[in-house]
Amino acid sequence: MLGCAGRGRGGPSNMAAGATGGKGGGHARGPAGGSNVSGAVTAPAMDAVLSASGVIRRFGYRTVLAGVSLSLRRGEVLLLVGPNGAGKTTLLRVLAGLLRPAKGHVERHGAIGMVAHDAMLYPALSARANLRFFARLHGIADRGRVDAVLEQVGLSRRADDRVGTFSRGMLQRVAIARALVHEPGLLLFDEPLSGLDAAASRTLVELLVSFRERGTAMIIVSHEMERLGRVATHMVRLAAGRVGHVESLAGRDPGAVFADLMRGDL
Amino acid sequence: MGSTFRAAWHIAVKDLAIEWRTKTAFASGLVFAVLVLAVLFFSRDPTTVSATDIAPGAMWVTFTFASMLGLNRAFLIERELRALDGILLTPAPRAAIYWGKFVANLAFVGAIEAISLPLFVLFYDVPIWQRLGELILVIAMATVAFVAVGTLLSAMVVRTRYAELMLPLLLLPFLVPPLVAGVQATAPLLDGRPLSDVSGWLKLIAGFDVAFVTLAALLFEVVLDE
Amino acid sequence: MTLRERGNRIARLGTVVTALALLGLAGVYVRAIVYTPVEAAQGAAQKIFYVHVPSAWAGLMAFVITGLLSILYLWLKDRRLDLAAAASAEVGVAFSAIILTTGPIWGKPIWGTWWTWDARLTSTLFLFLLFVGYIVLRGVLTDPGIRGRFSAVIGIMALFLVPFIHLTVYLFRTLHPAPIVLKPSRPSLPGDMLTTLLLSVGVFTVLYAGFLMLRYGLGLLREAREEELADAP
Repeated sequence: MLGCAGRGRGGPSNMAAGATGGKGGGHARGPAGGSNVSGAVTAPAMDAVLSASGVIRRFGYRTVLAGVSLSLRRGEVLLLVGPNGAGKTTLLRVLAGLLRPAKGHVERHGAIGMVAHDAMLYPALSARANLRFFARLHGIADRGRVDAVLEQVGLSRRADDRVGTFSRGMLQRVAIARALVHEPGLLLFDEPLSGLDAAASRTLVELLVSFRERGTAMIIVSHEMERLGRVATHMVRLAAGRVGHVESLAGRDPGAVFADLMRGDL
Repeated sequence: MGSTFRAAWHIAVKDLAIEWRTKTAFASGLVFAVLVLAVLFFSRDPTTVSATDIAPGAMWVTFTFASMLGLNRAFLIERELRALDGILLTPAPRAAIYWGKFVANLAFVGAIEAISLPLFVLFYDVPIWQRLGELILVIAMATVAFVAVGTLLSAMVVRTRYAELMLPLLLLPFLVPPLVAGVQATAPLLDGRPLSDVSGWLKLIAGFDVAFVTLAALLFEVVLDE
Repeated sequence: MTLRERGNRIARLGTVVTALALLGLAGVYVRAIVYTPVEAAQGAAQKIFYVHVPSAWAGLMAFVITGLLSILYLWLKDRRLDLAAAASAEVGVAFSAIILTTGPIWGKPIWGTWWTWDARLTSTLFLFLLFVGYIVLRGVLTDPGIRGRFSAVIGIMALFLVPFIHLTVYLFRTLHPAPIVLKPSRPSLPGDMLTTLLLSVGVFTVLYAGFLMLRYGLGLLREAREEELADAP
């Protein structure tokens, strides 16, 4: 996982420098914890799913993203945390390709699926009709694919009901189905648990774990540490338009890492 | 090119499927058309102004305003749950969004016109049957003009709080050439004059169509960016 | 030079240019009223011609420049091009208002009607309405990037609309000749009148430039303010 250079204080360091080894291996364990080492790239590049460098995005005269660099490999799940208004949603939209950065660029290797605050669906159509539409736009002719993905999110029984009648939890599942229909290598989630009750949240977290086990890379914006800590493999904080140090969660308590990140200790 | 066509087709079919499910815009457009036709019929002095005198104007005003009602709905459905973002996340070419909406709007407006036309004949008692083919040609050409510019403008105004107000405000100046040409071509046709008599107006609408369909398609991607 | 300094400087220059143009305008009025012969057929009312025609010229020029600046803005993406296009549009609306009021004032005594659907008045009317819509649209869009792009789209389309409106009116006129022959544009003018007209056109062009500079300078100052607000903690 490429993150930042220099010692582990969270702060303006955001350069994509060297990488340490694969999932969880080879990290220096100092007082600040986590990957602290800038060194040569040891992981094979074809595993890379996304890489962004120097992304700058403005709104009027305000700079929302002040030079963000990130990269992600297959199977890695990055939890993106930070204060409200830090630009997490903006960053996600830039990574997805919905927004163009003023400077810098984003390289995507393979397809991306996104689940955001709005479901990106048509309320007047059924779940099945919605998915068929997006599948067609992805060039997927096979009808079975839609049925399969509906099954995967557990909505086969309600597939022909209008999406406008769905609860928030069910809507979220259709949205995930929409994001999955073209079998992307990377999934982006913006506050996926917001508005869900405990049962729906549990279902969703299980789903996310199953994606990780298949090797799908994910970036999740959330502050729900208690539930998502066990899904994530890495964590990074976005504040004042910059990302800090990307922390690997291997063998560490996600809650502690989160607390340290939010306090700015890392 | 082929992928644009296919994606546009899927988008158009999806739009029409949604409209078919709810039918709200269509029903409103139709009711509005009937109202306008009736009001224009009654708002004249029947002893001095015959129905056939105002018929072309009444028909065209009805078509114009009923179409405007339907244009905003095309992008409103995309905004409800941000489905447009979903489309942008697929490999579908962005131009396909314009063409898909354009075709769907043409079908929508065409349907309203197809139903309004017999009602128009009913109220105004105009002999259109002999010239039906030519009339449909003129109506189709002008409708292309309305829809080409209207699709682009509705994509813009749907972001504002005042979409229903801003669309007519911005669109009507652009409709002046096709609307005037449409009315001026309709009257002689209803009088029994040959098509060649109105060739000047037809050429004007044709030129307008070519210019503005191209322009709108080119400028649409500017409107999609954030 | 900071945005604020540049804004102030252009506004000051604009004030000077406008003042000069207004002086020139006064001079042209004097010349038109006192020194230019009264037109035989139309009488003294014809002298409004020296305001009406140059305003039409300035208004059309303003809208064409808005269209051209809009094309440049979409190409080069420099925010200042958008500000200049918007400034030109507002000046165009002002001149159009002049045309739309002087037209009837001239028309009534000469042709007996307040309004004539000739090509110039008609295009001015619809361009005026369109650019009022342009200004309203800018007012409701808060994001400066979106505002600039959407305004540019309208500006470019307006550029292509002008010839079609002219064509529409021309066709209308040839098929339905008006009882009174209209020759509002380029009648063959005797020397003195032509000179006055050309002087007036020149003065109005300078006036356009002055107004444009003033409005553009103001636009820059507003941008400067927004920049300062954004930087503030």
